[in-house]
Amino acid sequence: MDLELSDEQRMLVAQVRRFVRQEIDPLETDLDPDASELPAEEHERLVAITTGMGLYQMDVPEEFGGAGLDVMTRTLLAMEMAQHRAGLYTPCYGTFGSMGLAQLYDANDDQKERYLYPTLRGEKRGFFGLTEPSGGSDPARAIQTRAVRDGDDWVINGQKIFISGADRADFGLVFARTSPDKGRGGVTCFIVDTDMPGFHVRRIVHTLRSTHYATELQFEDLRVPSENILGQVDGGFGIANERLTRNRIPYAASCIGVAIRAQEMAIEYVKIRETFGDLLATRQTIQNMIIDNELDIRTARWLTLAAAHKADQGAPFRTEAAMAKIAATEAGGRVVDRAMQIHGGYGVTKEFPFERWFREMRIRRIGEGPNEVQRLIIARDLIGGAFH
Amino acid sequence: MKVLVAVKRVVDYNVKIRVKADQTGVDLSNVKMSMNPFDEIAVEEALRMKEAGTADEVIAVSIGVQQCQETIRTALAMGADRGILVKTDAVLEPLHVAKILKAVVDEEQPGLVILGKQAIDDDCNQTGQMLAALLGWPQGTFASEIEFADGKANVTREVDGGLQTLKLNLPMIVTTDLRLNEPRYASLPNIMKAKKKPIDEKTPEALGVDMAPHLTTLNVAEPPKRQAGVIVENVAELVHKLRNEAGVI
Repeated sequence: MDLELSDEQRMLVAQVRRFVRQEIDPLETDLDPDASELPAEEHERLVAITTGMGLYQMDVPEEFGGAGLDVMTRTLLAMEMAQHRAGLYTPCYGTFGSMGLAQLYDANDDQKERYLYPTLRGEKRGFFGLTEPSGGSDPARAIQTRAVRDGDDWVINGQKIFISGADRADFGLVFARTSPDKGRGGVTCFIVDTDMPGFHVRRIVHTLRSTHYATELQFEDLRVPSENILGQVDGGFGIANERLTRNRIPYAASCIGVAIRAQEMAIEYVKIRETFGDLLATRQTIQNMIIDNELDIRTARWLTLAAAHKADQGAPFRTEAAMAKIAATEAGGRVVDRAMQIHGGYGVTKEFPFERWFREMRIRRIGEGPNEVQRLIIARDLIGGAFH
Repeated sequence: MKVLVAVKRVVDYNVKIRVKADQTGVDLSNVKMSMNPFDEIAVEEALRMKEAGTADEVIAVSIGVQQCQETIRTALAMGADRGILVKTDAVLEPLHVAKILKAVVDEEQPGLVILGKQAIDDDCNQTGQMLAALLGWPQGTFASEIEFADGKANVTREVDGGLQTLKLNLPMIVTTDLRLNEPRYASLPNIMKAKKKPIDEKTPEALGVDMAPHLTTLNVAEPPKRQAGVIVENVAELVHKLRNEAGVI
């Protein structure tokens, strides 16, 4: 594999790096340390720039007006876009747009008209409703929310937890069991409007992300028409799988981006901070931390770019994506932790980004499929499914 | 009007440079290189002229090693029409660059040459002025504004203590100051298009330029380390130190 960037990739990376350092960094000196949005006028100003760059809505598939980037280029950009305080969960504060829910690209025309296009125009917001109190990673067992056919409608009863943005959404994708005995193959994806009778946001669940929260949902005789079924009945998990696996690679890359920035700050700091009459940079204890950071970053970066490369070749890349996800989220945690340690008392203040990265990076080992489940994917590939 | 823009490949402005151990120069191994920021401003100004209809072609020229082609590609991705790479591994002095640019000007016959006022690596601030002298053209250096009217150009210059506006005949030389404009972000479509734009390769020999060195670098050293400050107990001690140690009062 050739890790030399193409001229195009090199220039795009340089443009996005400049955008982060020139536009995002200065704004963060004035923003609340936990902010996940920009003031409206700043957002608008920056979207005009990203639109001019041809990178607004970059993740939207090309046929719907997106940039049509290959996975490798997208991954390289993700590493750049995350290099600021809010970069892990809101890279560049969303000024490069959002693809919305990946599943909607596989919806039928009527559903695209009603849900996908309004989302892309910024008129509607959707949520993704999979996880239940009984779990999220093994849907064959965990999905207990039931949908029962009643004439042309389906009636949904059950609950969901850790659902982001459902309290502000206009609609959402709700996965419900339609065939009790068919495990993974008995779950259907419904598009649910949040103003349908029987849809309730029960409570807000706070997490390590200070200003971000999740919700718990309850469905009580929620009646959904058949035309709101996304894909096939009992085929809820057949939708957008490849798109979702592909997204795991930039997800890993954003952890590496934060690690790169943390390491850059650490290196800068050890060269100016004195203890007991000498610079931190001269202390071998500190040097080892910097070295280990670099090893972590480069290992994770290599695995992540290898996964991106494989995805671009059209080869199966589930195992590679899982390895990238594990390596990057775990390396990211260690690098941020060491950079924080190097910064001492300053490291835990809200004047520096480390404490936010520290909290948010911890979630990354659980989000987008916990690392243990990613390991399961690798084990199945290496040892074979029969032993599962 | 054809506009020629000179773009130099320099150490990226974010890089903290290191002097080589033998003090013969700056260590360039594994260092990120970029277009000289003043040259980005020059490219941007040329593109704005093209968009305003004043210019009809923008040509980016770079002189140096093969990788200078990346710098030209960056200019093409911003919107320049074509590039010229004058390839040489020789150590370049401002006079060499000015002579090569003159040879390119003789071939291309542009109505305007825009250069950065200086490059952030050697900070020479000489090439534009030398090129103007070699060509016998008028020059507007440290430009912060350029306006065209009646076949002439009004160039506003940032000089000590204020602004000076010159009325210059074309063809002419302009060197850019920081406040002339803010360079654009290259767009994805333009970055993709840049690959297809032509870059001509030339050599100083083919252009008839003698590359013999005129300068010898004796020594390159890092700035002296700043001494740690001291905290004084009271005003009397401060005055004492200022008078007896610093000798400033």
